[in-house]
Amino acid sequence: MTAPLLEVTDLCTYFEARTGTVKSVDGISFHLEKGEILGLVGESGSGKSITGFSLIGLIDKPGRIVSGSIKLDGRELVGLSEPELRKIRGRDIAMVFQDPMMTLNPVLTILDQMTMALQAHERISDADARLRAVEALRKVRIVDPELKVDFYPHQFSGGMRQRVAIAIALLHRPKIVIADEPTTALDVSVQAEILVEVKSLVAELGISMIWISHDLATVASISKRIAVMKAGKIVETGLAAKVLRTPSHPYTQSLLDALPSRSKPGQRLGAAASDHDAGSAAHPVAATVADPSFVVMAGLVKVFEQKRGFWARLSERIGLVKSKKPVLAVENVDLTIAKGEALGLVGESGSGKSTLGRIVCGIYQPTEGRVTLNNSPVMSAGPQSRKLTTNVQMIFQDPFASLDPRRTIGQSIAEGPIAHGLTSKAEARSYVAEWLKAVSLDPAFADRYPHQFSGGQRQRIAIARALAMRPEVIVCDEPVASLDVSIQAQILNLLLQLRKELGLTLLFISHDLSVVRHLCDRVAVMYRGKIVEVGTAEEIFDAPQEPYTRALLDAIPKLA
Amino acid sequence: MVAFIVRRLWQAALVMLVMSLLVFLGVFVIGNPVDVLISPDATQDIRNRVIAQYGLDLPIWQQYLHFASNLLHGDLGRSFVYNMPVSQLIASRFPATMELAVIAVLLASLIGIPLGIYAGYKPESWTAKVIMALSILGFSVPTFWIGLMLIMVFAVQLGIMPAGGRGETVSVFGIPVSFLTFDGMRHLILPAVNLSLFKMSMMIRLAASGTREVMLTDTIKFARAAGINEWTILRRHVLRLISIPLVTVFGLELGSTIAFAVVTETIYSWPGLGKLIIDSITSLDRPVMVAYLMLVSLMFITINLVVDLAYAVLDPRMRHGGGK
Amino acid sequence: MTLSVEKARTSSDFWAEFVRHPVAVIAAVILLVVIVLAVFAPLIAPQDPYDLSSLVMRDARRAPGYIGTGGYTHILGTDSQGRDLFSAILYGLRISLEMGLLAGAIAFSIGALVGCTAAYVGGRFEALVMRLVDLQLSFPAILLAFVVAALLGQGKGQLIVALVFSQYAYFVRTAHGAAAVERNKDYVEAALSVPMSGWFVVTRHILPNALPPLIVVATVQVASAISLEATLSFLGVGLPPTEPSLGMLISGGFQYLLSGRYWISIYPGVALIVLIMAINLVGDQVRSQLNPRLKR
Repeated sequence: MTAPLLEVTDLCTYFEARTGTVKSVDGISFHLEKGEILGLVGESGSGKSITGFSLIGLIDKPGRIVSGSIKLDGRELVGLSEPELRKIRGRDIAMVFQDPMMTLNPVLTILDQMTMALQAHERISDADARLRAVEALRKVRIVDPELKVDFYPHQFSGGMRQRVAIAIALLHRPKIVIADEPTTALDVSVQAEILVEVKSLVAELGISMIWISHDLATVASISKRIAVMKAGKIVETGLAAKVLRTPSHPYTQSLLDALPSRSKPGQRLGAAASDHDAGSAAHPVAATVADPSFVVMAGLVKVFEQKRGFWARLSERIGLVKSKKPVLAVENVDLTIAKGEALGLVGESGSGKSTLGRIVCGIYQPTEGRVTLNNSPVMSAGPQSRKLTTNVQMIFQDPFASLDPRRTIGQSIAEGPIAHGLTSKAEARSYVAEWLKAVSLDPAFADRYPHQFSGGQRQRIAIARALAMRPEVIVCDEPVASLDVSIQAQILNLLLQLRKELGLTLLFISHDLSVVRHLCDRVAVMYRGKIVEVGTAEEIFDAPQEPYTRALLDAIPKLA
Repeated sequence: MVAFIVRRLWQAALVMLVMSLLVFLGVFVIGNPVDVLISPDATQDIRNRVIAQYGLDLPIWQQYLHFASNLLHGDLGRSFVYNMPVSQLIASRFPATMELAVIAVLLASLIGIPLGIYAGYKPESWTAKVIMALSILGFSVPTFWIGLMLIMVFAVQLGIMPAGGRGETVSVFGIPVSFLTFDGMRHLILPAVNLSLFKMSMMIRLAASGTREVMLTDTIKFARAAGINEWTILRRHVLRLISIPLVTVFGLELGSTIAFAVVTETIYSWPGLGKLIIDSITSLDRPVMVAYLMLVSLMFITINLVVDLAYAVLDPRMRHGGGK
Repeated sequence: MTLSVEKARTSSDFWAEFVRHPVAVIAAVILLVVIVLAVFAPLIAPQDPYDLSSLVMRDARRAPGYIGTGGYTHILGTDSQGRDLFSAILYGLRISLEMGLLAGAIAFSIGALVGCTAAYVGGRFEALVMRLVDLQLSFPAILLAFVVAALLGQGKGQLIVALVFSQYAYFVRTAHGAAAVERNKDYVEAALSVPMSGWFVVTRHILPNALPPLIVVATVQVASAISLEATLSFLGVGLPPTEPSLGMLISGGFQYLLSGRYWISIYPGVALIVLIMAINLVGDQVRSQLNPRLKR
């Protein structure tokens, strides 16, 4: 038995705040073998990122490593001076961050940034640095590396940028790479490619890796051993397959229970799965009820014109400059939603699904075509179009952005109903209270401001605001995408329950196929502005017809 | 990129047109130029002759066309006070102002930017706090008052600097400059420092806030995680990232320094454009006012154009058409 | 890492944070004292500097501490017309504050309304307004104020026009910038999708959220309006000699500076700087508290 490559014992990283000490990392111990990928899983605030930064000694100001030990090849890292740590960073332990958009310097070429990273640890000429940089890019499978090395970050797509970041991390063949949510900002198909490549790179170079993520499935698909973190502590560690099949800690169990992919569609998620509605059918409000074309999208096209001034247009006309192409966000979409049905709209970023949702909700005016609800148009025609109905409402992705920070949630919920005569100013309080109760929130919350609530609570408030307009149709634009998995489960449960109680019709937009499968009766797949496939959830998930749909399904990381 | 330049040139031409209209309306239409051109006790006959000579009996749009065509031919009229062509008058004053403004902006940038970067890099340090406090002071004290104080201390109390004038000049390519002679330098130093203090404070604040924000980004964290040392991070990453707003400011400040020179030149009797415009306003020398305003507009538009181009060169996102 | 980003949202949090910075608190107190002195100048000042009959030429240019014809001590000396400098400074502060606040308030209102509307309406209107504003911003405020003041002639009204004209563009751009960010936030889309009226969205959602940066700009602009007013008056294109503002007092003392009668220019200058500095220090603290990007 040789000593492991990295051995962390009783590591504590605390942040001294005015309000008290935040124990971000509170006495964790783990080890990492040579050539191994260790998955570090936890929800936001669990301390998993701080753990990563602690290992390379990059903790922001009020925080510091209070106690414990980090041994790399038997050498103690805690307590090393800044210059000594700097020698280790990048050379022995490298790091990859979540958002490649933010990590690469937008005004320097890839070559500049790689040369800097090389020269941080080696005396190397610029010409040699260029060779090494090209080599590194080739390693992460970037086509034409000789050419691309002189590019600026904005000339790469998101996935390519993350590859570049990985290439920079691998420049010195470090012993360990810490990857902090490296695929979270990427589309699922890109994520799948990167997962495969990272796995083979790790094997090829014989390096070790710590893969930090909130997503159990990606972690399970890349790492053999995982550690689950909660509130600064590691609650469970072991082989991925074993932890996922037979979790020993209740927290791990609850995380697994919260995953929609692990339960039957339409069932309540989480520990309380088997109370009152355990016996209910998978899809409670069947689409057989009346009106199959309750919501009709007919020939929808949305073109976003590039903004140009008078002079730019004149210059174009007289041929001085080339004209910019308008962006075609939605291209000839025809879809119907039956009354009481939940239609899932899936697609990757840039597919136009959010734009389509906003057209249905009457936020955007379509360039061509129209949306009708119960045979009456959602928006008036013409350039000065207005939304005509209050019967369609929307729930947005980011609960931090969708509530006005300067209005109490009571004001936010009541403004629409008052303006449209659903309640009066005098009765607004009780009206708001009623809807807060409907989303299981304390009516006394009405006088508080959004910042006093957690993400999950805010999403409930946003749902209450939409419901208070008594709509028949609700457009949900990625309503759970920015929530932790346990909170996501609660919100999904709430949506399922409300749908049943109020007979709502849903257009549910998501990039997450497992969530869509859990909630929706029918699914439409969108790709580059077009609907490529529509069918019942079973058809789409079990027997996809289109190659794109199949590729999308294959890209989802599977749990064990 | 070509589209960008073409667009900017279009705009520049348009702006000059608008400015000439505004200046024309402002200076020629508000108030009656006849009262300025001839003495009140002139006979009606002379009045009529002068009116006809200057075309003041024509409709306003014809007057404007006349004015604009003269302008395009470089004919700015004659100064009432100095009784010489305005173009000559301005040409004789322009170098003094430029010299003062350029030296002031250089002083402000060369001292202000490094101080600002330091203050933004170590915002909690004692030195940074002193730098920032001083910058607020420099920001708050009106330029003219600092000018007075500098004169009082260095010219009156200590007697080591002259209180005004330009001193001895030497001619470089036919343009008289002060900074090459000892006497000229002595005359230049107080007004240049005076003019630069306000700009220096602005540069400090901009560089500091820029640096502070950049230091908190993931770009810097990623660079640190690659083991790059702090000096390289500052020199290569931070300086490049904050240089974009700084260049913009540098250009605009050069323009505004020329405007602020009005104050400094008045206090130090510096024989530049600022002194000229103040004198011409008090003596209602309208042709000089018009010429000054048109020249300043032209200068600002040129500076803005250059700044925009520099911006495009510095920011690859603009260069490759990735931006707007 | 996600330590709460949006602290100090409520006003009580804001003040709790503010009072932790001694420099800012001292500046705020000084500012308050100056405002009180200026407002109650007629009650505090030993002499009314507007009352020409009370001026005695024998008292002109006397050093601080001189006991003049009026029987009281001129603690800061007298100016070239025999005015008591202390009284003149109090009245001067009054004028400076009046000019700065009035010009600031007018420019603020124009800027907030035009900027937010432009951001909300978008399209041609937005492009036109912002083009104009950018154009104007490329010309230094002092030059614009100087030209306008020179063209309009001396007087309080004219000076305010000149100050507003030279400053409103900063407010428009700030309001537009902040409002354009808010305009694209989900909560505005949420309100629009209800649907709420455009007027409601602009006044109840966009404007309140665009206020913090506007307040910061306002402090800077009020301070700079005061400085501009003094500069213009110093150059002789600001207020008429019947309104002895601080700039004019300093200008009047300029010629005596070389002969050692420093107090005529220095004391009004000190008063001016204390006022501007206090505003800027308070503004600086407000800025750092309102800048979400600098929060840990």
